[in-house]
Amino acid sequence: MKSRIFSGTRYLILGLGLVFFIAPVASAIEFSLRSYGNKGHTMANYSWIFQQEDFFTNITISLKLAVLSAVITVVTVVPAVTFLHLEGQRYKRIFEFLAILPLVVPVVSLAIGAQKAMPLFIQNSQYELAFFYVVIAIPYTFQSLNVGLSSIPLKTLVEASRSLGASFAKTVTSVIVPAIRSAINAAVFLAVTLSFGEFTLTSLLHWETFPVWITRVSQGNVLGSIALSMFSLIGAWTLLILVQSAQNVQKNRRSKSQVEEMEEATA
Amino acid sequence: MRKNFAVGVVAAMVVAILPVATSSVSFGAVKASNATSIKDFGGMNGLVTACKKEGKLNVITLPRDWANYGEAMDLFSKAFGVKIFDDNPDGSSAYEVQTIKTAPASKQPDVVDVGVSVLDDAVGNDIFAEYRVATWDAIPNAWKDTLNAKYYGDYAGQIAIMYDTSIPFAPKSIKDLLRPEFKGLVAISGDPTQAQQALMSVFAASVANGGSTSNIQPGIDFFKQLKANGNFVPVNGNTANFAAGAYKVVLNWNFNGPGTVAAAKQLGKNVKFVIPSDAVLQGTPYMQAINKTAPHPACARLWEEFMYSQNKGKITSQLTAADLKLPGDKLFAAILGGQNIFISGGATPIQFPTMVAKKLNIAPPASITSYAGKLAAVTPSADSQAAAKKILVAAWPNL
Amino acid sequence: MTLMTSTQDTTIRKNGGVSSLLKLTPLAPFSLIFLFFFCWPIFQILKNSLDQGKGHYGLSAYRLMFTKPYMHAFTTSLQLSFYSSLTAGVIGAVIAFYVHRSKSGFKSIIAMLSGVLANSGGVPLAFMFIAAFGAQGGVVTVLKKLGIDIYGAGFTLYSLTGLILVYSFFQIPLMVLVFTPALEGMRNEWREANNSLGGTNIQFLRWVLIPVLFPAFLASILLLFASAFSAFATARALTGGSVGLVPLVIGSLIDGNVITDQANLGDALAVGMIFVSAVVMVFYGFSLRWARGR
Repeated sequence: MKSRIFSGTRYLILGLGLVFFIAPVASAIEFSLRSYGNKGHTMANYSWIFQQEDFFTNITISLKLAVLSAVITVVTVVPAVTFLHLEGQRYKRIFEFLAILPLVVPVVSLAIGAQKAMPLFIQNSQYELAFFYVVIAIPYTFQSLNVGLSSIPLKTLVEASRSLGASFAKTVTSVIVPAIRSAINAAVFLAVTLSFGEFTLTSLLHWETFPVWITRVSQGNVLGSIALSMFSLIGAWTLLILVQSAQNVQKNRRSKSQVEEMEEATA
Repeated sequence: MRKNFAVGVVAAMVVAILPVATSSVSFGAVKASNATSIKDFGGMNGLVTACKKEGKLNVITLPRDWANYGEAMDLFSKAFGVKIFDDNPDGSSAYEVQTIKTAPASKQPDVVDVGVSVLDDAVGNDIFAEYRVATWDAIPNAWKDTLNAKYYGDYAGQIAIMYDTSIPFAPKSIKDLLRPEFKGLVAISGDPTQAQQALMSVFAASVANGGSTSNIQPGIDFFKQLKANGNFVPVNGNTANFAAGAYKVVLNWNFNGPGTVAAAKQLGKNVKFVIPSDAVLQGTPYMQAINKTAPHPACARLWEEFMYSQNKGKITSQLTAADLKLPGDKLFAAILGGQNIFISGGATPIQFPTMVAKKLNIAPPASITSYAGKLAAVTPSADSQAAAKKILVAAWPNL
Repeated sequence: MTLMTSTQDTTIRKNGGVSSLLKLTPLAPFSLIFLFFFCWPIFQILKNSLDQGKGHYGLSAYRLMFTKPYMHAFTTSLQLSFYSSLTAGVIGAVIAFYVHRSKSGFKSIIAMLSGVLANSGGVPLAFMFIAAFGAQGGVVTVLKKLGIDIYGAGFTLYSLTGLILVYSFFQIPLMVLVFTPALEGMRNEWREANNSLGGTNIQFLRWVLIPVLFPAFLASILLLFASAFSAFATARALTGGSVGLVPLVIGSLIDGNVITDQANLGDALAVGMIFVSAVVMVFYGFSLRWARGR
């Protein structure tokens, strides 16, 4: 938009937005850097984090669960939503309703129902959490992929790919996935951050992961608990940057090999 | 002579075999999960040995700075070499009962500490085990299950006013909180329809304003007026929000005092706890119980013996390596008993009268102001609590 | 193109049976996990809500649900969800629009940031807001120095308005994250076509942009609505129950220290929430059809 009024409002909006989002985080970070007795600022609350036993155990299990949830999400939700857009149009509305449900049902109820229903061999494995995280993330991941798929010319792409001889699976992986890259990214980010920060269900199922550990270990240490919350926020962001870089490395590798193939073909 | 010699040999053999025989009889005959008193373990030595074998204890909803449970857990853990797992420290009594009903076997709590309001549900579902601690008789009859020994009171507290000393006016009574000096400073420690402590705070306000332990309405009216004055801040009165400056005055159990004072020091603030002069609201004691399906039944029972021990002795930081090598009964006698640990946390242990008579009680912490006035302590009954809850569910969100 | 699609459809219909079931395999992993880890536990809740104890089954919990305090909780929850999702939705859509037009490096930073912020909540979020916007908060103090006293003017963080503000912190990023992919589908050619046909900016907005984006916009708002409707930890940490919301009531019934003889009422309320969201979905469907009809 080239008009002057719009560029002025753009900066105003950006400014207000910055204040709204930065102010709370900045206030909390300032708190986390306070020293004992509020006599100045120090990194002591952050070094305290690393001195706690069980820190590495818990952060590792949370990382594992986050990665597992992301993988399960992509493997299950992407084909499902693609199918609903292509040939399952009449089921689409029902699935949209079902996909909202995990968000609407209170987590407390889900936890109690799960413990009454699930067989013991599942309840005794901490990896059951990954599947629950996937389910709780479905409202976000499903909707994000739903929105993404509705904005590409899906039928055209699929027909073009089919008419060139590709199977359904190859169409999905080589044609559709690159086209909805930003939607898949959004879904993966949401699944990862949710797993890394999920507290209520995990605690109700009596498992200890990083967020649950934070609450337990920082009893009686307010500054420490604030530092841990900020660390968790920054940690989740770092995790996402790593996920993103891993994807970029893969993308570069693929496009590099394509360039090499073309060079071979023309040579 | 030969006869005497024979008798002597037999006697010696019997004396030699007897300890082994009796201990294996007590191990084999009574399983730990069926033990109803320390006699079933053959005494403290047997109990400590059995617990050391189990090596783990599952507790639930025990915050470290609540009546100094932190010290209790550390001391028990170090003395007997038991790893303690505390499920959801900030959880409620209902959560404890719910967990016993729904959790898989490995996640079951061994022991619980619950408010009276959940007892009907728990006893009705028969989830507690029968057990009488060694000091059973020192627990008042009014606060234990005299019939089946399924639950027993452990400690009680009183509602106190916690305030930041930076406020120009130091409150002495609940009515003081209506003054203009407290504008935007007064909070309550949670949701009275959810948390026992908050419910008792509203009862305290009621007693201070012409109501009683069977009539909660004056308490609700008090908070309504507090809100109209602009003094009441409807924020959750936890430590994090205190740190952020959301409130400076709150009604709390007096046994949360030591922990809160320490937390405030870390923030560079000073707080004081004072029992209000217009209402001495003593809560119903919390109840200890052993889970029938406890995964570590011996440690569960040792924990209860520990909680009801009146001994004076060492705390965690004072334990030496030599102490840890002592036989079970001597080790148990050397450590500070649970009832005294409650005193160090600012609570009143259930066996307090007996302990005072025998001069076994330690001095309470300095940060707790003990009440020196003439008002009698009052306690709302389970029925009036139930009636009050129903009124609050409708009234509290519409304050 | 339409011809090809219809022949494809008839092929499917002709073959029927096993091959049409096999065609459903893309849905299988999703459906299995959803059924096993969600539907099965939820069925337990439905069963419990009808359980009046000691083997009787009936609707007593539901009758209780329709009394004043619980109905009031539903209306408050609906108000909160409606206003916060609409506000955050519009703001989020505008921000998404500006993000969409920036470079791809900046875009992915915003996406990651949004992912992290969208999952913030509970005690940490309440703390951050009190530290910034509470009566002694950083921002409030700065504004006071500039002569603006928002607390004097009647603003308070611990009210419905305050909750809307706090909810926006995770709802706006959620909106940005979920709506931006829809913007990716816009084509510059549409703009050029509009201009070459003599259309103004406003006409472009009204006849091209908004109708195309409306379904995705509505779907994203629906997500915000549901997340606000069920948010629990943040509301509890901030208000301590003084604003009556359905998740808080359910929490106190199932998990609270005080009321324990009405746990199946908590289950009934959970079923009530599902029912309300079904009604909202119906409105969503009607809105879409109405939008397409224009």
